[in-house]
Amino acid sequence: MTSKDIEDKLIQGIASIINKDKSSIASDIPFHKLGLDSLGFVEILVFIEKTFNLQLIESGLDKKDFETIQSLASLIHKKL
Amino acid sequence: MKKTTCAGNMSQVVLVLDSAIKHSELHSRLMRFINEFPAVYGGIHRDINLCPYWRISEKAEENLNFTSYNCSNEGDMRTLLGECINKPFKDNSEHLAFHFINIENQKSYLAMTFDHRLFDARGAETFLKLFQQHHENNNDPAISSGIPFTAPAHLSGWLKKFLAGRNVNRKIIAMSKTPPEILPIPSGRNKRFKFRLISFNQQETQTIYDNAYKKAGYLMEMPFLLAVVMQAMHELFRKREMTADSYLASVTIDMRTGEDIKQELFFNHVSYLFFQAQSEIMSNQKELINSIKMQMYEQVKAGIPRDIMEASHLTRIAPLPFLKKIIDIPLKGKISTFIFSHVSKNPLSPDIMGTRIENVFHMPRVSVPPGLGFFSNYFNGRLNLVISYLDGLISNEEVNMLGKNIKEKLTEIPSPLVAMARRGEG
Repeated sequence: MTSKDIEDKLIQGIASIINKDKSSIASDIPFHKLGLDSLGFVEILVFIEKTFNLQLIESGLDKKDFETIQSLASLIHKKL
Repeated sequence: MKKTTCAGNMSQVVLVLDSAIKHSELHSRLMRFINEFPAVYGGIHRDINLCPYWRISEKAEENLNFTSYNCSNEGDMRTLLGECINKPFKDNSEHLAFHFINIENQKSYLAMTFDHRLFDARGAETFLKLFQQHHENNNDPAISSGIPFTAPAHLSGWLKKFLAGRNVNRKIIAMSKTPPEILPIPSGRNKRFKFRLISFNQQETQTIYDNAYKKAGYLMEMPFLLAVVMQAMHELFRKREMTADSYLASVTIDMRTGEDIKQELFFNHVSYLFFQAQSEIMSNQKELINSIKMQMYEQVKAGIPRDIMEASHLTRIAPLPFLKKIIDIPLKGKISTFIFSHVSKNPLSPDIMGTRIENVFHMPRVSVPPGLGFFSNYFNGRLNLVISYLDGLISNEEVNMLGKNIKEKLTEIPSPLVAMARRGEG
């Protein structure tokens, strides 16, 4: 799976969690600008585990990992 | 009646305004606005062989409960706000009341008291947002167009709801292995609630958000705030020399997914997450935060909040006292040590009828037991925390202690040496 494929899947999942059209979510937007709170963020982490079989909740994530959807896709790509 | 997880409770949202509004004009504008929403004059009905539903009377009463007060200082204002939320609605058809408090024509407070069957907290804020828009658009009647007022009376998808109920029941039984400690409910029939508002300025709020990031992680404000409240509660139990094995916090969460919630304005859309923590980890904030984060993750993954929403529809066919017993028996009546919520978004515009909104906070009455809740919200760069408690449950001294402990732990700025030690330097 390429980083771009991961990015597309992430956009699809995030769009369904925040109830927005996926075309309105740019891959260079930081997560906190998507209007997410703790619960929404955890829903995204659960989506990542279910989709990519990766548990990120305990892996010491910081703002850099979530700077953009692109940066998260690249982190997931490295871990897969 | 669409969702009844908070049926029967009352709450109050308070807008702090930087000057006075002419109360007669406010009253007439509110009256015109409310009359666009006949749903507020509805009520629960149950016809023969039908599940309960929200029925809007053909001849709505259209009589807005509005009171205005003048007072000379903030102390009197706080007493008045307490009176407003403790005053019951006049009957089953009243679900909304407005109170305007003017302090020496310099500052004013607009409080909207509401029945949780009509709105939840976010719905109430959005309703006030629509009032702002109604005023800005010269009383445009289209403000209420496209908002659904009714929910189907029938109960569909029985199997799904019963399976959800079974999952919730399993979760409750799992939690009951170590029943949480609660504060003893005062005897007597006193149902009055008292409130303590802790308001943080913008700088303190920034420190709290920085601490949340450093201690709990990215976008993890809720686990940080909850951990601090749990630690303060543990301290209170310790001071009372009450030995507790564990504490349980019920956290209310909004189940709407979109930012624009006009379509889901009415009725209740909240569900719950449950966080249990053993008293032995209370002195270790890092471990406590990790435990809260993992419990949140596991419950979201297992779909517990959705199951609670689904199962709550069973209240349409099973009486609430029966369902309450199902929860009460395994937990021995100790449903939770306290209720908690954190609302990080607010839809309101910065002013209302030309007057600037300085702050917004909520004053919910909490179900008993536990009769104690902590409610934080964010507005205009500031965080508020309201402690809501049944009169007599905790003393004034104890509320002061809770407030002081929470404030100190939230706004703590570690000294450079402590910060270095935490990073493993030096």
